[in-house]
Amino acid sequence: MKKEMLTGNSAAAWGVRLAEVDYIPAFPITPQTEIIESLSRWICDGEMDARFVTVDSEHSMITAAGAASATGVRVFTATSSQGLLYGFEMLYTVAGWRVPLVMVNVSRGVSAPITLEADHNDILAARDSGFLQIHCENCQEVLDSVLMAYRLAEDERILLPVFVNMDGFQLSFTREPVEIPEIEDVRRFLPQYQPKHAIFKASQPMAQGIAVLGGPVYSYFKYQMHLANRKGLDVYKEVSKEFERVFGRRYDAVEGYMTDDAEYLLIMTNSFSTLGKAAVKRARESGIKAGLLRLRLIRPFPDDDIKNALKGRKAVSVIDQNISVGKGGILYSEIAGVLYNEKDRPLLLSFIGGLGGKNISPGEFDFIFDSMSKAADTGEVPAPQLLYTEAEWKEMERLKKIAGKM
Amino acid sequence: MLRVRFHGRGGQGAKVASRVLGTAAFLEGYYAQDFPLYGAERRGAPIAAFTRISKEPVLERGVIAEPDIVIVMDETLLSDPLSSPLAGVREGCVVFINTTHSREEVRAKYKITAQVITLDITKISLDILGRPVLSALAGGVAARLSGLKEDSLSKGVEKETSEIITDRSVIEKNIEAAVHCYNAVESHPHPAPLPSRGTEVPEGEGRKTTVITVPFEPAITSSPAINTTGSTPMRKTGNWRLFRPVWDYEKCTKCMTCVARCPDGCIALNEDGFPYTDYENCKGCMICAEECPVKAITAEREVHSW
Repeated sequence: MKKEMLTGNSAAAWGVRLAEVDYIPAFPITPQTEIIESLSRWICDGEMDARFVTVDSEHSMITAAGAASATGVRVFTATSSQGLLYGFEMLYTVAGWRVPLVMVNVSRGVSAPITLEADHNDILAARDSGFLQIHCENCQEVLDSVLMAYRLAEDERILLPVFVNMDGFQLSFTREPVEIPEIEDVRRFLPQYQPKHAIFKASQPMAQGIAVLGGPVYSYFKYQMHLANRKGLDVYKEVSKEFERVFGRRYDAVEGYMTDDAEYLLIMTNSFSTLGKAAVKRARESGIKAGLLRLRLIRPFPDDDIKNALKGRKAVSVIDQNISVGKGGILYSEIAGVLYNEKDRPLLLSFIGGLGGKNISPGEFDFIFDSMSKAADTGEVPAPQLLYTEAEWKEMERLKKIAGKM
Repeated sequence: MLRVRFHGRGGQGAKVASRVLGTAAFLEGYYAQDFPLYGAERRGAPIAAFTRISKEPVLERGVIAEPDIVIVMDETLLSDPLSSPLAGVREGCVVFINTTHSREEVRAKYKITAQVITLDITKISLDILGRPVLSALAGGVAARLSGLKEDSLSKGVEKETSEIITDRSVIEKNIEAAVHCYNAVESHPHPAPLPSRGTEVPEGEGRKTTVITVPFEPAITSSPAINTTGSTPMRKTGNWRLFRPVWDYEKCTKCMTCVARCPDGCIALNEDGFPYTDYENCKGCMICAEECPVKAITAEREVHSW
């Protein structure tokens, strides 16, 4: 075991190397490229025994990944934003094939207008595809999650592809101390993939990814995917327990930070949760009973964990780093759905923040805590709010003027 | 927590400098985090990089708006509004500037109230490495100002340069240059001790923000389209330049090859028919010099002159 300064991208690559992946189809895109660069270098230098293939697009890349996985080998691939959307059709297809590949998505705001930094409209667009989704806060978690993802994907109760998500720039290019596990420990946790169901032998022909015509047959397969994905909630618990036993690090589907006696909770995902935790610490220092709930597993959605964690709170704010245009925060809607039939449910506030990687400043967190306390006093929940500061608005006004907008 | 911000130009080594410091701190047992910020990558464009050093786990990410130490690796950035290396600098900060001038001169020129330390690390780099690559040297200065040990710095430079340089002697020279800068800065008064402020969050602009409700605006305003013409000249690209083309009119035959080859249309003709370039926008690609059939154009290193 050694500890090193690694970027989120390097941490992902190390996870893949330790998982002893067999096949990697790749296509570059900022801010993901460093992952496939690291892997191709290791394979070239003989430090990793895998087949690396560059393809013409993300559409082909996901197809190749799915097809290879169907033959019974361990497969990895990675992309980001526009690349994910370009391969979108194949996400649903390979999930329907029930192939256990692992894919890292490095979140980046989706065009247009084009941008480079993170928000989660890319990965959350894929939420209905059948892939399981693990969202990471720090670089260590990225490495660890890649290992856990293979255990989940390859479990015979699941057999679905898994996404591991990290924020572009804020995590992908940020270096932090990361513990790189020993290969023997990894092999103990994640043995070689030897599927009984996927065979690639001339003497033993089989057909995969078959066509079905007709609703009843289609409904059966689609609903089985759903059940398998939901089964992931139980399997996740087993896998994370086993992970903790081997490596000593614990990752619950939903992470509570200072939640024990908290009256006011923030709900966040990914790397900006770190900023939320700092805000909770500051709020505690000024006497507010604050806490933070970080959603790590987003598909399957951990309904019961969320229900339990929100019980008895005065107010809860969901900070969506995404926007479903025409509706609002995606996770807000999902959490509201979870709470609707609960008798003892908190007030639920909606904030949209960090779009395109926009910072969420301490002042903006103060605003959220103020809003929650006001809502708790009056019983009235304010309208969904974009986190946007006066200074940012002034700068936007200046830019609009240059563009001849007023 | 100690927050260090590096300002440089793409290719100068600001990113690696932030990593040298991050690794040195990490090897010395601190929690460290480093992060570079650049947009669409290109050599010569202003970039920033950030290193956080702490005894506790770091609960911050991204840009450092209120640094304790600022390392300005290229003096020309001080007058570049897009770079603003002095943004967020308060009393008690230490600002290091790579310059040939004294700190009194620099303080007066740029009206800096914070503590200023100067050293011509470009010259040291040229003397020791033979090239103006400042990553290890700026890392050395930052390690000194952060109160890290010389040994941690050497190990940090070794680790980071080994990732990008294969020639062992060049790695050794980088260590030598970094240590030289580390000790040259020592002779300056008041080096900042490590962990200055313990607070997790700076008490500044960040906490005074007002959150507003963004109003609806019609599509003519809110679509990402530019309705005016002539805004491109507002974005000066001359500050990306590392070398400037200079014409020798004695040799020039007025063939206009340079005019035709300039990818940015910066080269025009004067009254006498000789070509000249618009230095506010010329990016210094030097294609003109490459293409000139009589070699009348030479590349001169950009030096900031007062």
